[in-house]
Order: sequence, then C-alpha cells, then structure tokens
Amino acid sequence: MTNPVSGLAAHSATLPAGESQAAGPREWGFVETLRGAIDEAEQLQGTADAKVSGLLQGNGMDVHSAMIAVEKADLSFQLMMQVRNKIVSAYQEISRMQF
Amino acid sequence: MPMIDSPEIKALAKFLDVSTFRTGLITSNLANIDTPGYRARDINFVQELERADSGMELAAFSPAVQQVQGLASRPDGNNVNLEREGLLLAETQLRFQVGVQVLKAEFHRILSAIHEGSGS
Amino acid sequence: MNLFGMLEISGSGMTAERQRAQVVVGNMANAQTTHTPEGGPYKRQLAVFRSERQHTFPAMSLAVAGGFAADRSHATEGVRVSRVVPDQKPPTLRYDPGNPDADAKGYVAYPSIDPVEEMTDLLGAVRAYELNASAVQAAKGMIQQSMEILK
Repeated sequence: MTNPVSGLAAHSATLPAGESQAAGPREWGFVETLRGAIDEAEQLQGTADAKVSGLLQGNGMDVHSAMIAVEKADLSFQLMMQVRNKIVSAYQEISRMQF
Repeated sequence: MPMIDSPEIKALAKFLDVSTFRTGLITSNLANIDTPGYRARDINFVQELERADSGMELAAFSPAVQQVQGLASRPDGNNVNLEREGLLLAETQLRFQVGVQVLKAEFHRILSAIHEGSGS
Repeated sequence: MNLFGMLEISGSGMTAERQRAQVVVGNMANAQTTHTPEGGPYKRQLAVFRSERQHTFPAMSLAVAGGFAADRSHATEGVRVSRVVPDQKPPTLRYDPGNPDADAKGYVAYPSIDPVEEMTDLLGAVRAYELNASAVQAAKGMIQQSMEILK
C-alpha cells in the first residue's frame, strides 16, 4: 500500500530551509507549518496502514484501534490540505499586491 | 502538532482498549463456565484506566488480571457466576458504545476546527 | 486478543457445550442398555472440559505499533472437551431372572444413569450454549460499533 503522503513528503524536502532566503518571517511560519503537517500526515498514514493490515492479517490488532488510526490519518491529511490551501491563497493575495 | 492527537482522544482510545480487554475476560469466563477448577477473572477497570500510559502506543498494554472475589464455588471448583458475567457483558458493551460515540464527536469537532473559516 | 479472537473463544464454548449435550443425550438414550458389543451394560459417559488457548493468530507481529489488548498473560482462553470418559460408578443391579442378560443369580446389570441428573446436565449445557451465543452477539455489536468511528 503506497503512502499517498510520501510523495508530498518528498516535496517537503525541496521547500526552502529556514535560514537562507530573504523573504519576510511570516512566510517561513507557513512553510514550517506545512512541513510539519506533511510529516505528521505521513507518519499517521504509516501507522494506520500498519494497524489495518495487521487487523486484516489476524494478528490480534484491536478493531477500534485500527479505526482510530485511520481517522487520525484522514484528519491530518485534511489538515495538511487546508494548510496548503491557505498558503496558496496567501501567496495569491500577496502577489496581487505587487505591481 | 498536538491537534490531531488530543488528550480526549488518547483517553477515549484507552477507555476502549480497557473495555475490549475486559470483554475478553468476560468471554473467557463464559466459555469456561463448566470447566472444572476454573476461577472467574476480571480487572480493576478504574485502576487500569488511571494507570500511567506513557508511550502506550509502543509499549504492550498489560493489565493486571485478578481473580474475582466473593463468588461461590461449585463442587467442581468452578466459581463463574452466570448472572454476574451476563450483566457485566451487557454493561461493558453499552459503555463501549458510549465511548465510541463520544470519540466520534471529538473527531467531528477536530474536523470542524480544521475547516473553520474556509468555504470547504 | 481482539474482538475477533473473542468470537473464537465463544465459538469454542459453544462447541464444547454442544459436545457435552451430545454425550448427555447418548446417556439418556442408553439408560436401559444392558448389553453392549464390549460386553456388559452401557457405561455412562462424561465429557471433560479443559481451558485452552485458541490458536487464532498466524503470527503475533509484536513489532507493529501498539493498540493491542495484549494477550501475553494467558488471561483469555477458550475451552474444549479434552476427553469423554466412562463413569466409574458400578452398574445398578435389578432382579429379573427372565431377562436374557441376567447373570447366574438372576440379576441384570443396568447403567447407573439417573434421568433427572442427565436432564439437569442437558439444561446446563443448553444454557451455557446460549450464554456463549450472547457473547458472540456482544462482540459482533462492538465490532460494528468500532466501525462507526469512521463515520
């Protein structure tokens, strides 16, 4: 089961590092937040995958535990998408201000 | 990011874990109601809930299984009480249901917070 | 041990009680059997119950991130009928010299089977069977409830 967040996590490695660029401090807050959201989403997705496959293989994994893991992974994914959307619209707004 | 893993979710997950484990003991007691020498088993539910669960995700959840006190033994040495187990099973199942519903509400709350202020 | 494992345990209970009922019914049917292929009257049979861990998991991959109601404590076990043994009670002798199975003194050996005792035993097996069936329903309900978490 490929982790859908892994692709995005790979991209997070290409996000600019905190110390190097010359943009305002608020931009780096967004980037770090997004990076954190991607990492958490990837981690939770991995846990959910492991628990669900464990459950299906019959290793004694609790049903509710696997369900909770899936729900957490889903929520963190949605959170990540929301953060991404906010960043995108913030950039769009900022670019509208420039002439 | 602590948002997804709130203390409420941790507590509810733990509650469901302990409930499930207790159900397993009740199920064993019922299956062994006619096994000679078998003694009814249970846990101290409240105590298990309160036990420090640092890093519970990685560590094994190992509750202290105890023998039930105050039960009468039959001549074959078995002390499983039908009424007690039946009642406890019904109660545990209902509480589990409540736990799930509260957990759902918490997840929905988090979902609302994620999408707050957006058109989505 | 998860809820699915508990279904196995309840299942083992139902199987054992059903086998016990079969033994009791056999006793009731043979209460008057004075002659068996092995010679002598039918011997009352008893089903011996024994706790047993259910082997439901192909491999307990303990490395998987937590979430188990861990069952390393042997606290949850099912049951099985380990043996069916004959009751060692001596047969009941009744004076009936006309009976083909009568001995030199005219006594016929009958199985020491008390129909009331057997009936009580049977009712016990039926009740225990129903209890385990209730446990199956409870576990099933909890599994379905667990899936509600995703809704």
